[in-house]
Amino acid sequence: MSRKILLWGSIVVLCIYIGIACAAPLIAPMGPDAITGRPLQSPDPVHLFGTNNVGQDIFSQLIWGARITLLFGFFSAGLSVLISTMFGIILGYYGGIVDEIASRIIDVVIPLPTFVLLIVLTTFFSPGILTVSILMGVLSSIFGIRIIRSQVLSIARMEYVEGAKAIGASDFHIMYRHILPNVMPLVMVRFVSSSQHLLVMGVGLSFLGMWDTSTVDWGTMIQNAYSEGGVALGLWWWILPPGIAVIGISLALAMIGYSFEEKFNPRVGVNRI
Amino acid sequence: MELIRIDGLYVAFSTRSETVRAVDTVDLAINEGDTISLIGESGCGKTVTGMAIMGLLPTNARITGTIRYGDQDLLSAPDSTLQRIRGKEIAMISQNSANALNPVMTVGDQIAEPLLIHHLLPAPEARQEAVRLLSALGFDEPERAREQYPHEFSGGMRERILIALALICNPGLIIADEPTSGLDAQVKSQILQLIKKQIDGNRTLFLITHDMGTAHFLCTRTAVMYAGEIVEIGQTHDLLSLPMHPYTQGLLASLPSAGLHPIPGVSPSPAHLPGGCRFCTRCPASMDRCRREHPALIDAKGRQVRCFRYD
Repeated sequence: MSRKILLWGSIVVLCIYIGIACAAPLIAPMGPDAITGRPLQSPDPVHLFGTNNVGQDIFSQLIWGARITLLFGFFSAGLSVLISTMFGIILGYYGGIVDEIASRIIDVVIPLPTFVLLIVLTTFFSPGILTVSILMGVLSSIFGIRIIRSQVLSIARMEYVEGAKAIGASDFHIMYRHILPNVMPLVMVRFVSSSQHLLVMGVGLSFLGMWDTSTVDWGTMIQNAYSEGGVALGLWWWILPPGIAVIGISLALAMIGYSFEEKFNPRVGVNRI
Repeated sequence: MELIRIDGLYVAFSTRSETVRAVDTVDLAINEGDTISLIGESGCGKTVTGMAIMGLLPTNARITGTIRYGDQDLLSAPDSTLQRIRGKEIAMISQNSANALNPVMTVGDQIAEPLLIHHLLPAPEARQEAVRLLSALGFDEPERAREQYPHEFSGGMRERILIALALICNPGLIIADEPTSGLDAQVKSQILQLIKKQIDGNRTLFLITHDMGTAHFLCTRTAVMYAGEIVEIGQTHDLLSLPMHPYTQGLLASLPSAGLHPIPGVSPSPAHLPGGCRFCTRCPASMDRCRREHPALIDAKGRQVRCFRYD
């Protein structure tokens, strides 16, 4: 029962975050870049969380920052899941030599630490936010390919797949109508858990300055507070709000992910959370 | 009119160390309106023969021979041709098992699927057709059954759904592979009645079974298969009342009604077949010649039998 409350609570939290991101112009009292006060003001009724080193309203930045942070997480997770589902199904269904080669390549790539690889790779591309999210989506899809492929391997040998061939279905039809719906629960689990993972990673990358530091997201906000004296001066209202916001969404997504996983995968132990 | 003619069908599966001859030189003609059964024990190659007609053998199978269907050879036809034929002209009633139907697709959608794949009807009409067929196959509430998922049905009902799936495009030839396995006696007889009613003179049935009673009930002709080859073929009634090949005789003697006398020994591994007659090691009437020479299928008393005793 408490597990159910946890799941629904997490879903409510997630909806609130998404709602805030969508309605940012209505909620935020000021623009994300507008200089609306003196630098380093303490919280007051006009500036709920005070102002930063150039006099921008931190509360408004927090609200606006939800957009880019969430968009980044969900976009790269969506891309990651799309790639891993597509390749996982194709490799698992056709098998053979291509599958063999692809699996060996995946075995080589998986042990490479994604975060470090990403930092190296971004130096080769123009480090825009879109580039980084595409790279993250692609890199994190590799593990997903392996998971989905292994599931498809067992589904593709089910008798109803043979049966679908016997009614004259084409390979595409079988993959789309019979295999995809059967791996969908797993795809959902992958989507939720990778969006949590990638969202946090995105905040980390933005903290490290992987893209334009004038972009307003929670990573750059923390970075700003860190480098412009927010920590040194003990201005907790500057650094804590974006940090807590990240922890909140991350926990909510993790809880949803675990609950889904328990529901769809009976082999996952019940004491995982 | 001849519908399908199998000539010299040979199917082997190669493993690293040995070659398994699953089907070895099977010739069989199926006429339009025929009801013919292929009887044999597990592993004798009867299912592989059915799969060969459907063109659904695994890619590691080595296949020679021809299966003529109209002006096509099904063994060498391209996939696109086979996809056009499968389900529409030749359909299969698959073995009933928990995984025979897609667990996440409603029964109605699955039954209507062949019609949509072959572009025979637009979706709303296809769904209506599925409902019509469900009610013809004994579903009391076809409108409700259409919306349900396979796990909500019993084994007998699932078998009916599989039959609907095979019948929906009104195919000329139906291949039924052990359609009643895993069903209890009463449900089994209902399903057999149903198949008989649906076949009823205007469809061709190719039944694969190990059960004499099923073959007798549904089929006018029967072929007995042993270790990858046909050993006896004739009218079902004649064959069962007066079996000629020692293996057929053994099969009948092993029935409970005949006193449960099993055939001694086990059937040879298809990887290591004996040189002469394949049944000689278990045959009560084997002669020297049986061990040396491989018998051919010869005509005898209106049927064909693969035994030197009728030479």
